Amino acid sequence: MTSSSTASVKPAPVFRRFSFSLRDAGTLIGLIIIMAVFAALVPGFVSERNLINILQQSSINACLALGMTLVIISGGIDLSVGPTAAISAVITATLLLTGTPIPLAIFTGLGVGVVCGFINGALVAYVGLQPFIVTLGTLSTYRAIALIYTGGNPVLGIPTGFRSLFNGNLFGIPTPVIIVAVVAIAAWILLKKTPIGEYLMAVGGNEEAAYVAGVPIARTKITAYVISGGLAALASLILIGRLGAAEPILGNLWELDAIAAAAIGGASLMGGKGSILGTILGAIILGAMRNGLTLMNVQAFYQLLATGLIILVAMMIDRATRGRG
Amino acid sequence: MVPRLRFETISKSFPGVNALADVSFDVAAGEIHGLLGENGAGKSTLLRILSGVFRPTSGTVFVDGQALILKRPVDARSVGVAMIHQELQQVPHLSVAQNMFLGHPLTRLGGLFVSRREQESRAAQALSLIDRTIDPSAPISSLKVAQRQIVEIGRALLDKAKVIAMDEPTSSLTPSEFDRLAEVIASLSASGVSIIYVSHKMDEVFRICQRASVMRDGKLVGMVDLKSASEKDVIAMMVGRELMQEEHNSFVTDTVKLEAKNLSSATKIRDVSFTLHKGEVLGIAGLVGSGRTELLRLLAGADRLSDGSIAIDGKAVRFASPRDAIAAGIGLVPEERKREGIIPLRPVSTNMALASLSSFSSGGMINTGKLRAAAQDLLKRVNLRPFQLDRPIRLFSGGNQQKAIIARWLAAKSQILLFDEPTRGIDVGAKSEIYHLIEDLAREGHSIIVVSSELPEVIRLSDRVLVMREGSIAADIPRDQLSESAIVAHAIPGANPGATVARTASSA
Repeated sequence: MTSSSTASVKPAPVFRRFSFSLRDAGTLIGLIIIMAVFAALVPGFVSERNLINILQQSSINACLALGMTLVIISGGIDLSVGPTAAISAVITATLLLTGTPIPLAIFTGLGVGVVCGFINGALVAYVGLQPFIVTLGTLSTYRAIALIYTGGNPVLGIPTGFRSLFNGNLFGIPTPVIIVAVVAIAAWILLKKTPIGEYLMAVGGNEEAAYVAGVPIARTKITAYVISGGLAALASLILIGRLGAAEPILGNLWELDAIAAAAIGGASLMGGKGSILGTILGAIILGAMRNGLTLMNVQAFYQLLATGLIILVAMMIDRATRGRG
Repeated sequence: MVPRLRFETISKSFPGVNALADVSFDVAAGEIHGLLGENGAGKSTLLRILSGVFRPTSGTVFVDGQALILKRPVDARSVGVAMIHQELQQVPHLSVAQNMFLGHPLTRLGGLFVSRREQESRAAQALSLIDRTIDPSAPISSLKVAQRQIVEIGRALLDKAKVIAMDEPTSSLTPSEFDRLAEVIASLSASGVSIIYVSHKMDEVFRICQRASVMRDGKLVGMVDLKSASEKDVIAMMVGRELMQEEHNSFVTDTVKLEAKNLSSATKIRDVSFTLHKGEVLGIAGLVGSGRTELLRLLAGADRLSDGSIAIDGKAVRFASPRDAIAAGIGLVPEERKREGIIPLRPVSTNMALASLSSFSSGGMINTGKLRAAAQDLLKRVNLRPFQLDRPIRLFSGGNQQKAIIARWLAAKSQILLFDEPTRGIDVGAKSEIYHLIEDLAREGHSIIVVSSELPEVIRLSDRVLVMREGSIAADIPRDQLSESAIVAHAIPGANPGATVARTASSA
């Protein structure tokens, strides 16, 4: 009998350090398919320059979508990211025009986003209003504040020092891409390696159980909205750096693209589930599609159509591969 | 003569559980038939089969000799079977008549319009047989619970019900409302409608019903003629199973760990006082709805105290949230694991660590190595199977999910563990593992409270049992006087408590 040797069955791998989830692989395959289709249809689509372009064009949406992903994982939604960005943009631009030092202006701009997010979070967590309604309300309120603050006029003439910071290059890579990459890594660490990340998934996955287990529910929810507001502000800084002007109406419908990127990347609007890598891939999918269709001179109407269809197809594939429930 | 309703060898099994085994009995036309049994005896399963929620694994239900084949719950109404649930299923903002015609409104012009006037006059007609004071056009939310129940009965009459099953209909009625309901039931019976009446309240069943079927562990253990039987006989039938053979081990010390004084809450707890010692397993028995779960939630910081005080190790504590209770060394293993216990998509290891993540973290980052070591250690200790620590907890069996939740409190170094129905939905093997685990925890000096509806379980585990009734402690029974009948006698309102049992509730 060889029982003594076979008895020492090797233990199953108890932990995996890094797991590239099946769902992320699916999103990646989707991206590859879209890239391949455009590569065949559009000459120069896969050139280095255009690929960098795609990343740059995706960066603003990716930035918003990262915050949105955390909010969605916590079981909420943030419809107010566009107007939050607008307030932050017009205040930052005004400060820059009045000669405020650039770091202070940036700091203030991000702070405005954080405050907007905190208000959303506090209304959700302490007042107990539904996230959809809260951020629907602040969607209008924040937009109105931006319009009232500027009298409806754009703030023009943003200094070049600021613009080169958010619209420049580092080692040939656009700074927005680098900024968003850093944010993405930070968000990944937050979600995977910190108690806050675990709390976000617990609160979104089963709030009642999280409460009984002593998870700080209110603090966790507020954290998600604060990050979302801060990242909306960061996205607005990237945009006004590129445009050189801050319009109070900027960021219109940004929330929808951000939600789309998160959903394509595997975030469940029921909460408790979502992927940073997936969201980034989702944002790139949307960006690559718009880039490719523009290069093909497809009318904007059809681009909108394509965006809508890609979201629906992605969700149907998600549903079909996940099975029921 | 063909009986109105016949259950013929009904069995129902769920994966791993036989909920009903070979249940057969008849109910005559116009009979008021009681259905008795402890929680989990199979009464609800039987009612669900009758109303089409479940289909029996084997056996057939006959109504007037016709085999009842129900695909959906709505089919039951069309064959004359109506169910009146404990929690009334009504839409508050709609009118009485709209609720009575919910799902199949009276229409005119080929289904384009609802004819409200017609609905209201027919509703009034049906209600006039039982209660003339109810206005069919009033919103249902303006009615008292008792009246809403009458509306449900009226709805059953509209459907020309031949059999009406009532599940704990009086749980929220006052005595005079009960009298009114009893009259309505008697008049229904006189007009030939058969009633199946499920209640815990012995005196009601004796007053209303003619015969009763008694169930235990999914089996029909007897049919009693309530004219000749006594309450004592019926209780004996309900609980009369053999006690679990395993021996009880006691590790109680004299050190008082937790002292609760005059606890009251908005969630029906009234003036509850008790002490819990180090190493003690304190059982809490009582009917569903007697306030057991609410008491545990108070102790766990999940609900607020409106009055009274809690002291741990002699020091007064106040809990604003479960976080405070956890910090004070209390952990709750909740009754509804799915709703209050697990984070379904997360790995079993992080589910275990959820209540103590800060102790596994430094500088805001989770120390994965430390967490893994603790998970290895604690989940092995509770004998998690399969031993795969990064598997999402929802893929584990109920028993293993429960073990992970217990390990959660070991990880949080809780000294006081509160178990609410620790073995509900858990198979027999895991059950005894959890019993041994609870015993081991007591041996190590943990203080434990176990709430359970299964009397053998309470008796097997407890050093002492508090019996709750209507939010208060009705009895404090020491180990040497523990018996199922002693517990039941105190738990059931209207039953006479046995003379041998010390009553120490408020006088102690």
